[in-house]
Amino acid sequence: MTSTASPAVVRPVQPVRTDWKLTPLSALRILRAEVRKGLLSQLAHPMGHIIMLVISTVLYLGMQYVMGQGTLRRELIPQTLVAISGYWFLHYGSLVMVADLVEEKRGGTYAQSQMSPAPPWVFMLGRLVTASLAGLAVAVVATLVPMLVTGVTIPLNAAALVPYALVVVNVLAFTFVLAAVAVSSPMVGALHSLFTSLVILLNGSMMPLALYPDWLAVVARFLPTTLGVEATTKVLFDGKSLGDIWSEGTLPWLLAYTLALVLFGGWLFSRNHRRAVRDGRLGQY
Amino acid sequence: MSTQTQAPAGSGRPEAVTTTPAIEISGLTKTYGGADTPSVDNVSLSVPAGTVFGFLGPNGAGKTTTIKILSGLLAASSGKTLLNGYDVTRQRAAAMQQFGAVLEGSRNVYWTLSAWQNLLYFGRLKGMTAAHAAARAEELLKGLDLWERREESVGGYSRGMQQKVAVAAALIADPPIVLLDEPTIGLDVEATRTVMEWIRTLSRERGKTVLLTTHQMNVVEELCDRVAVIRKGKVIADMSTDQLLSQFRERDAYEVRIEGDLPELSLPPNFTARRVDDTTIVSGRVSDPQEVYTLVDRLRDQRAVVQSLAQVQPDLEDVFMGLIKGPAHD
Repeated sequence: MTSTASPAVVRPVQPVRTDWKLTPLSALRILRAEVRKGLLSQLAHPMGHIIMLVISTVLYLGMQYVMGQGTLRRELIPQTLVAISGYWFLHYGSLVMVADLVEEKRGGTYAQSQMSPAPPWVFMLGRLVTASLAGLAVAVVATLVPMLVTGVTIPLNAAALVPYALVVVNVLAFTFVLAAVAVSSPMVGALHSLFTSLVILLNGSMMPLALYPDWLAVVARFLPTTLGVEATTKVLFDGKSLGDIWSEGTLPWLLAYTLALVLFGGWLFSRNHRRAVRDGRLGQY
Repeated sequence: MSTQTQAPAGSGRPEAVTTTPAIEISGLTKTYGGADTPSVDNVSLSVPAGTVFGFLGPNGAGKTTTIKILSGLLAASSGKTLLNGYDVTRQRAAAMQQFGAVLEGSRNVYWTLSAWQNLLYFGRLKGMTAAHAAARAEELLKGLDLWERREESVGGYSRGMQQKVAVAAALIADPPIVLLDEPTIGLDVEATRTVMEWIRTLSRERGKTVLLTTHQMNVVEELCDRVAVIRKGKVIADMSTDQLLSQFRERDAYEVRIEGDLPELSLPPNFTARRVDDTTIVSGRVSDPQEVYTLVDRLRDQRAVVQSLAQVQPDLEDVFMGLIKGPAHD
């Protein structure tokens, strides 16, 4: 039977807010909120991270023990540690980024976050910062613990920070590429596994790139982190300057590769986001 | 952009009068890639500010597609959607500040975070300052009876409480428009009642415009000032709830109760008889009420004891079913 709503007492609506403008400060505020939310979400389940910290150290030492046929070859550890730090930064950072994104798309919170006046890339950058912090934590532990266990140190050289910074940008750009894939496909997990497996095999984490067959070393340089690790180890262990690695082509290739990866990541995200909005897959797969 | 609303003089359910409709959709069409027919086909709607607007239709009719387009989550193939006069596509930042939304089949909020953390996060996302978001979050959580449990993670809440947090997150920036896609689905009676009270309060006391989709016709009848029915992507009815019901009253059904068995007589077309305990109920639809009085006279002639004669009013569910089963309005 019919029951009708009581007569409405319609009051004037609130003043309409239209004041949000994209400025560095407004973007930074939203980015900070995104990072804070991301960290709180990560810390809500610390056990996964703790297990990964343990795995990261055990895996490296075990791998070196096997490669050394039952001994830890101390002369190879500093170089491979540089590579493994890059690997863990890449592996765990991108894992956190991609897993969160897929979960949020399935859960619906990704769609909610898109109903903001801020453009979508601001949120992606926030997610990238959170994921990078998780990756960085694992990379630091995965590097420091083997150093403590073996007593091996990595010599400090400020010049090496330049190519290593490019390793970091490499990793961030590659993570962004995977995130862009995750915007449109939940199968990104397979892609993540494929690439990170290739990286640990070929970026110098098992043995320095110089020990690989030439053709394999060429292939390896197309993977993220390899060129950066090669340039960093040349500065740290071969006594080369930035000028040396520039003139021999390592640094220019690294710069070009990094730039290409950054541009590709930005383009892919823009394309996949646009397609997701067109096809109605922004809040679901 | 200014919007003014007022209740017109007169009795009954008032229509909000406004200079700018809170929601304006014109010629909206969405065809998904690979589909032959559009999911939303040339839909035009105008929702006055301050009203609760029921957007009804069977599954797959195009309701959620329309809400997603309004929310900026889906691009239309053609047409225009304005929120408080702001074009969702061309003036996205301003349009996004006009509404909050609770989407169907979606968590809407982070279950790993507390209600408090969720509201602060969504407040910042809408461009609020931390202090403003905190003050508003406190107001909302107290109003929804969640203040005491604000620090607990939402994942541990009951379904009803989770939905309350989702509603609060949609309201955190105090938007003038609220889009609610099946807000009471899966809720128990008490939680449904709470959400309905909130929707009523939002509209009647806060002047918000609420666009609501639901399959629960009692919710629509109780809350909605205006209703649009969509079927196969096309709007087949768009009028006030009272108008919709009265339109269907023109085809009213009648019910005659008589004591004992039905005497030997032929019933008018569209009439049936059924026995309930000691009573026989003769019911059916007529185009002219005189037909019913003729039937009553004939029954009395046969010495039947007529207990009652009543007009059966259709409820919104009858109307809805009649509309969606009717011929397509192509």
